[in-house]
Amino acid sequence: MSGSPLIEITDLRIRFHGDDGRITHAVDGVDLSVANGATLGLVGESGCGKSVTSLAIMGLLPKQSAEISGAIHFDGFDLLKTPDQMLRDLRGNRLAMIFQEPMTSLNPSFTIGDQIIETILRHRGGSRKSARERAIDLLRRVHIPSPERRIDEYPHKLSGGMRQRVMIAMALACDPRLLIADEPTTALDVTLQAQILELMRELKAASGAAIILITHDLGVVAEVCDEVAVMYAGEIVERAPVDELFSAPQHPYTVGLLGSIPRLDHRTEQLATIEGMVPNMAQPPAGCRFAARCPFVLDACTKAPPPLIEVSPSHLSRCIRAPLERLVS
Amino acid sequence: MTALLEVEGLVKHFVAERSLFGRALAHVKAVDGVSFSLEAGKTLALVGESGCGKSTVSRLVLRLIEPDAGSIRFEGRDLLALDASALRAFRRKAQIIFQDPYASLNPRMTVGQILTEPLALHGLVPSAQRHERVAELLRLVGLEPRLERRYPHEFSGGQRQRIAIARALAVEPKLIICDEPVSALDVSIRSQILNLLRELQDRLGLAYIFVSHDLAVVKHIADHVAVMNLGQIVETAEADALFSAPSHPYSRALLSAIPVPKPQAKRSRIVLQGEIPSALNPPPGCRFHTRCPYVIERCRTEMPQLVPDGIGHATACHRTSELPSSAAIVPSDGGFSPVLEKLVAAFSGGPEAVRGSGVSSLGTHPA
Repeated sequence: MSGSPLIEITDLRIRFHGDDGRITHAVDGVDLSVANGATLGLVGESGCGKSVTSLAIMGLLPKQSAEISGAIHFDGFDLLKTPDQMLRDLRGNRLAMIFQEPMTSLNPSFTIGDQIIETILRHRGGSRKSARERAIDLLRRVHIPSPERRIDEYPHKLSGGMRQRVMIAMALACDPRLLIADEPTTALDVTLQAQILELMRELKAASGAAIILITHDLGVVAEVCDEVAVMYAGEIVERAPVDELFSAPQHPYTVGLLGSIPRLDHRTEQLATIEGMVPNMAQPPAGCRFAARCPFVLDACTKAPPPLIEVSPSHLSRCIRAPLERLVS
Repeated sequence: MTALLEVEGLVKHFVAERSLFGRALAHVKAVDGVSFSLEAGKTLALVGESGCGKSTVSRLVLRLIEPDAGSIRFEGRDLLALDASALRAFRRKAQIIFQDPYASLNPRMTVGQILTEPLALHGLVPSAQRHERVAELLRLVGLEPRLERRYPHEFSGGQRQRIAIARALAVEPKLIICDEPVSALDVSIRSQILNLLRELQDRLGLAYIFVSHDLAVVKHIADHVAVMNLGQIVETAEADALFSAPSHPYSRALLSAIPVPKPQAKRSRIVLQGEIPSALNPPPGCRFHTRCPYVIERCRTEMPQLVPDGIGHATACHRTSELPSSAAIVPSDGGFSPVLEKLVAAFSGGPEAVRGSGVSSLGTHPA
């Protein structure tokens, strides 16, 4: 990525202290950066730390149980050292987030208009009348039909797709520089998913905001992202421009993931599977965290944790056997 | 050859609102005239958006809920005429697997108890041999027999879904209804369950009704597909035929929207405008006309019938013959790149497939 990045995460570590005294290493030394106007896909399976990373950016992790170290530089701030009051000024303003569940992330006892207007008034001030006009305009931008009427409706009157569009309108209310979308289309049907992805592309083109898209759906990643980071057991195991990741992945875990999704143009009897289980993050293994499930494993893999190495310019892999082409040519 | 399952004109309306005196005021037309048939050993997929009635159909077929009209014949026998004991006998032949493996297993029973229950209930295996049969069932779904003393909470989502499959298999059914069986699972676990379902079908000659909204999964597993919209089937065809040339405008929109794992995939996506009409008050005429890009006056008033083309492809659309070519509607993912193809093969082949691999001592554990 050229120029200075909009957000730069260095050596982010998040540990949770459980009630029983156990410590879970949810995120372990993550480095990430996103440039202005770029879309980064953060991919991985349940429990790999992708959502926790995004919550750390937003400053939404519980202070009592989460121990966070590292740095998150955004727009001249280190978000991890920013006082709460200042974070509240950033959130919803220059930093915005969309969650997976549009059903539970809107307040059921206020109209959607109230909720969007609240955001605008909190960060931009001005009169309620002008904020209402801006809210109507936002609803129109996310293609809500007859927004003048819809603005006074309560969330329960809207369908899932509409609610997600309201969430997006709210996130865009103050023209954020960075939008974090955590599984924004997972709860939606394909037709609605297509509408929402189209909308996100449209809005990105119009506003130039950067997006971090968290998802487990590689199809969605291929469609909207410029760059992808694959997470496994709290670490980034591969990072590459989207084309390269899909054509020549450099980490065995990514190979397994790509092989396990059914293809439209590739009829196979058997899909690839990743055998075994994710390691227990209370006691991560000494060597490579994927070693126990990796068919390409060597003795050396289990001895020391592999570093994230540059396989080719801007293509990083945490695998000592990369480049993987060598193994099959 | 007669079909295993024949469904004719199935109707189910739920009462949505009652008057003070209990008179029905409004109905949700969940299923409205659905017909299909399924042969032994084959897979029929029901696809469509949330609320299209696909799950209701799957429950009607098992008589978990009673239809308002229509007929269901299983191996030539009318299911709706069965009394309670005959119905119980039928349930031995047809089973169901649900979406959420966290909710569909009793948390207070061990895996052994969960799998023994259907055997005892149907009096299938003498009690002395049940233990052996449980072990066999667990092996069949790729779990170790020693796990039978454990409780569901000790298993991962994928393992629980395997237990649910073993429970369905316990009574040696001919038909299994899979209602979104992999939607709640992670990608890598999903592929294990899909592989397992396929393998079991080949080995045991099972027929599946596969309810799913994930169309790439449907393409992978189904022989035949029925596309549903608001309680009706709008198109039905062989899976390959449907995916290469979808005919109904709704199927086209649905298939064109599949996200494919290929950056810059060529596609001509049809983004539907407007909201899904409510099944409470479906529009007159064709139920898709409010969102259809090809709508004409006739569509607003006259309901199109499902018209077969003679080679197994039927479409319910007035304009079937006038629609533009369906070429390039389904996005192409181009399969794997050559490098990825080799890598995936090596990944699946295990350590011996890899050049210069050092050890295999690390043995992997079956999930």
